[in-house]
Amino acid sequence: MSRSPVVVTGLGAVCGLGVGVDAAWQAALAGRHAIRPLELFATTGHRTTLAAAVPGDAALVAGRGLSRAERFACTAAAEAVRSLPAASLRSARAGVFFGSSTGALFEAERFLAELLQHREGDLAPLAAQQNDGPGAAVARHLGVRGPVATWSTACTSANLALGAALDALQQGEVDVAIAGGADELCETTYAGFNSLRAVDAQPTRPFRRSRAGLSLGEGAGVLLLETRAHAVRRGATVLCELVGAGRSCDAHHVSAPDPDGAGAAQAMRAALHEAGLAPDAVTFVNAHGTGTPHNDGAEARAMHAVFGARARSLPVTSSKSLVGHLLGAAGGIEAVFTALSIVHRLLPPVAGDEPADPELGLDVVLGAPRALPAHNVGLSTNLAFGGNNAVVLLRSQRP
Amino acid sequence: MTRRDVVVTGIGCLGPWGIGLPALAAALQRGEPLATPIDRSAGYHRRNAATLVAACGPLDLTPWLSPQAARRMSDMSQYAVAAARMALADAGLDDVRGERSAVALATAFGPGGFTEQLARQILEKGGRAASPFLFTDCVANAAAGQVAIDLGARGPNTTICQREAGPLLALAQGADDVARGRADVCLAGSVDEMRPLSHAILDRFRALARPGRDGELPRPFDRRRRGMLAGEGATILVLEAETTARARGARVLARVGATVRAFDPSAGRAGFGRDAEGLAAALQARLAPALAEVTAIVSTASGARHGDALEAAVLRRTFAALPPVLVPKAVHGEYGGGTLATALLALAGGEFARPAACGQPDPELGITPAHGRVQAARVLCTALAAGGAAAWTVLEVP
Repeated sequence: MSRSPVVVTGLGAVCGLGVGVDAAWQAALAGRHAIRPLELFATTGHRTTLAAAVPGDAALVAGRGLSRAERFACTAAAEAVRSLPAASLRSARAGVFFGSSTGALFEAERFLAELLQHREGDLAPLAAQQNDGPGAAVARHLGVRGPVATWSTACTSANLALGAALDALQQGEVDVAIAGGADELCETTYAGFNSLRAVDAQPTRPFRRSRAGLSLGEGAGVLLLETRAHAVRRGATVLCELVGAGRSCDAHHVSAPDPDGAGAAQAMRAALHEAGLAPDAVTFVNAHGTGTPHNDGAEARAMHAVFGARARSLPVTSSKSLVGHLLGAAGGIEAVFTALSIVHRLLPPVAGDEPADPELGLDVVLGAPRALPAHNVGLSTNLAFGGNNAVVLLRSQRP
Repeated sequence: MTRRDVVVTGIGCLGPWGIGLPALAAALQRGEPLATPIDRSAGYHRRNAATLVAACGPLDLTPWLSPQAARRMSDMSQYAVAAARMALADAGLDDVRGERSAVALATAFGPGGFTEQLARQILEKGGRAASPFLFTDCVANAAAGQVAIDLGARGPNTTICQREAGPLLALAQGADDVARGRADVCLAGSVDEMRPLSHAILDRFRALARPGRDGELPRPFDRRRRGMLAGEGATILVLEAETTARARGARVLARVGATVRAFDPSAGRAGFGRDAEGLAAALQARLAPALAEVTAIVSTASGARHGDALEAAVLRRTFAALPPVLVPKAVHGEYGGGTLATALLALAGGEFARPAACGQPDPELGITPAHGRVQAARVLCTALAAGGAAAWTVLEVP
């Protein structure tokens, strides 16, 4: 069975940097982050008071009872598919492949708070309290009739969804896939990461010697994927190709990564194998880069294992330094940034002024965007609770 | 790319029926709903709410899970680890450590108990009271991660959340990973725990059968149906490439056929849609040749008023003459993957009682649940999910 090439023809983003891809990209190139004091709920007593919340909601898709995550998802998806004729969406040949780690947990917390006071809260958003809420909302919003599924593997969710979309397109199940993820800030994850002492009191500092933890974020990142044949048939502008995806499990610990990075390396190799590419083909890495001491160390070791000596000169960035950690949506927004880096041949810097940790031995992009060569292969990695690792590979369009 | 045929070589299951496939088979032979009172002591339920749940009750999982390990896990993770160990033993595999072993599970709710405890700590005592232990095992993929840690399974590890369609979607993901050669063995299935809070919320959406004139029972395809019986449990299958399984002399329980996935955008956020024609067209477009040879259906019907009507309409449009239709959710309730286990029983010539609560088939739906011995060569498993997702999978005698 021959596999259809899969191309990226649309992008959508909602994150702390704003609503829309352009807002996010311009801020990213400027190295401007969105990590600010959080006003969505009280942060009293926590190690940090910061997060990258989506600013305002006026530009978001609205609808009765929609959760914040659903609004992020539908808004980003609508942006990603705006070039696509409605008939291509409202078809059994179109699918939604989504990641979410918390669904509508913020709204569920509000409902439970009322219930504990013996009052009835707003029930409507709880219809999406399960993690499939954002993906199913996208499918209903766009009228999709093909496969719809949600992968929920914590911080790797969206990368698993992207990989599943790639499979469905390559196998001929669909011609069009809306793929990515959405998650919203909520007290449970905020307090949970604080309880693990996994958050930084300052804006996160990935790959720095002083790194002390992550900053949480929220939003959605969505890619419109098509078979090349479908894209060519409709005269679509191709941004880049999705060429591979790889998954693995550390089988080591429920929340801490394998310090050797062996599982992450395995996922990177699996993605390269599926893409039919050698490690030397990769021109940059959009790393998971949470800014926790353990994650960045494990991820650096994984890169050294896969790329060898070249890891020291392979440009590495972390979108989480700009938009925070979007959890189940992280892979979605980071794939959007990876695609934009390929299109514009620019790799945004990791936010902040401090030099990179020399012990990691990585070429971390700092200060200003890094110019990329004419032809690129970008590797976007995510690691998650449960020891989950997932990697996607995007490539410049072949002539 | 060459795809490998994928077979089921083992099963582990537990649920309101107890532990193991024989216990489920016995429950299905009795046909009585496995319903017990839900704990309403937390005050989450409204006065006229559903009172019954298909709960696991106390289960002795020590043959598969030490008490020390169990203490570090949610109920859901315990169910998954025990079912996975049970499945491997059933398959005659004792060591699946390594990169070639995958896990693919579905869950509708994730570890609701841990999530609720954690949220209550935060809401009642403040964020600093949050327990890191609860937090790390409250993600939806905690169960799949715990299975991987327990078994040393370092291959692809997947958790899918798509409500009632999840079990078939996870089975399809696992089978695809084996078929494509990404893994040699995959533990695939479904796991859920049903806590009072989830139960009370489902009740508020009128998803559950409630006390009333006809009693509070799950009645698939029955004219008196008013909702489902919420349940819990775990069903995990061992999937292998058929060539590998045959080479090691494994007992093969079933071959995994194609899965069709579709979506009905007419569905509401918490309910079922109306587009039977569209769903049936999707099913027929992808499975037409195989459908002609389906000799039994393990139906998604749960007693949901609109869900069962949609299911019936899809099946009637798809089959000129319906093969026997089994409705195991009349016995074990919704969630926990019992339908996957039922499909294996149907392929093995299982005996099924007429579900006790389904004595008055709805003439408008035109489906009478099957009973008696079912010896199917090819089973169609169906799954329609609230919110719009749908999936169908064929399992067949190898």
